[in-house]
Amino acid sequence: MLLEPFRQPYLRRALLQVALLGILGGVVGVHIVLRRLAFLTEAVQHAAFPGVALAFATGTSLLGGALVGAGVAVALTLALAARRRVDEDAALAVIIATFVALGVLVVSRRAGYQADLTARLFGRLAFVTVGQVAQTAVLGAVCALALAAVHKELVLLAFDRHGARALGYPVAQLDAVLYAAVALAVVGAVQVVGAVLVLAFLVTPAATARLLTDRIGPMIVIAAGVGALGGWLGLVVATEASVHHDVRLAAGATVVLVLTVLFGLAGVMRGMVLLTRRRVAP
Amino acid sequence: MSRLLDTMGTSFFRRGLAEAVLVGALAGLVGVHVLLRRLPFFIVTMSHATFPGVVLAGLAGVSLPLGGFGAGLVLVALILVLGRPRVVGDTTVTGVVLAGAFALGVVLASAGTSGSRDLTAYLVGSVLTVTAADVAVTVVVGIAVVATIALLHKELVVAAFDPTAAAAQGYHPVVLDGVVMVAVLAAMVVAIPAVGTLLVLALLVVPALTARLLTDRAVPAMVLASAAGAAAGAAGMVVSAAWPVAAGAAVALSSAAGFVVVFALRSAPRLLRPAPRGPGPAAPSR
Repeated sequence: MLLEPFRQPYLRRALLQVALLGILGGVVGVHIVLRRLAFLTEAVQHAAFPGVALAFATGTSLLGGALVGAGVAVALTLALAARRRVDEDAALAVIIATFVALGVLVVSRRAGYQADLTARLFGRLAFVTVGQVAQTAVLGAVCALALAAVHKELVLLAFDRHGARALGYPVAQLDAVLYAAVALAVVGAVQVVGAVLVLAFLVTPAATARLLTDRIGPMIVIAAGVGALGGWLGLVVATEASVHHDVRLAAGATVVLVLTVLFGLAGVMRGMVLLTRRRVAP
Repeated sequence: MSRLLDTMGTSFFRRGLAEAVLVGALAGLVGVHVLLRRLPFFIVTMSHATFPGVVLAGLAGVSLPLGGFGAGLVLVALILVLGRPRVVGDTTVTGVVLAGAFALGVVLASAGTSGSRDLTAYLVGSVLTVTAADVAVTVVVGIAVVATIALLHKELVVAAFDPTAAAAQGYHPVVLDGVVMVAVLAAMVVAIPAVGTLLVLALLVVPALTARLLTDRAVPAMVLASAAGAAAGAAGMVVSAAWPVAAGAAVALSSAAGFVVVFALRSAPRLLRPAPRGPGPAAPSR
């Protein structure tokens, strides 16, 4: 029953897609969790929206539109947050509000925009093409290579920013590499699985892994495994429900719910371990 | 031009205008507390987390804002009870909750019968279809929120800047946190019919940030933010009457445009004179 649905080629493609996203989520997500960048992730996925909408309206490359939108948003955020009166969260909020409004504006000029908007937000996991899977794989590989090249420095930065600066590391450039990797991961995934699913893939498995281990290497592996597992189980649940019980469940959202449940289970496990250890400090 | 005046004379436009101005003023005022407590991400989470409640309310046939408010209350309770988990950061937990709650809403919606039209109205608002009852609810909720914030003003400001001092003076920080969160939730729920959950940030954060550029003081900031929010509501409605664009998006963009103008005006003198600014404050390690 767990493998049965994947005889269908379109579900095999969906499975491959969520597995790739799971691995990407492990690699990028651990840094997002360590640096507390969940809000940046959320902002970038919204910021890609007007770029995609414009590209769609003008018939140019969607991926290019998304990259331009996300790049402008990240640059604006960094510029705004450099001001004394504006903290980074507030800057991100302004960016999200503006970019989403622009996107809605562009989309609302066309008739029948509701279906577009929902697909854009929730994705269509069951309609993934081979090209999109390949695109995710390439973007994922670029992200993974970039992050692996500066892995040691990024970990140092996450735990001791002032120490890293004192040691002479180029802190701003390293930040830029990390932000760019997050933007790339978000943009690559958002095309395929929708905005909501992306945040879940980039944050939830890594947060789950963080609950289970304190070490970075195992954390990346566990996060990638949890992401892939959640994707697989979610697809199984969604197809089972629709084929055998006649309940239509949105595939992407079901995957997210499974990931959230796994996070909750990890939290319970950690709580039980801590209780038996008589509350040793984490 | 005469077509514009015709549109603006209709009753549904006047109701929408009243709703947009009221919601803008209320959200601007509450937004100052959102900024004081660094809650912008909480807003994003909340606006997504009300979604399953709205879908359930739609399926059960009860009032949609009521469902959203219920789901939001559950989230506030969860955040206050779980406190601040130290292992995974606040931001991370918030991100997990955000994605999970929204996915729950989508799953419920896909299993039920509510189509993508309802979903879109919820996401981007539908201010021209508000009823007189909606406007009345906004007025009542607005009065309650403003009265609460005014009564607890001193305590809320102290707790925002120095929670330890507030606790030492005998105030209960968790209760005060809860009051702010519920006030924000109430303002958000009445704003969602006007601008939708995706764009509610544009009224709950942006006007307050515009005001923040102009003043460091809390009460003037509230007055300015309220005015900025109301102006954004009015301007957005007029724009959407003149050109065929979504009203919620027009309101949000008016709000953003106000911020950009104030930001440019504040920055211009600084750029013109060779200000000897020291090395800026180090970015906080996050």
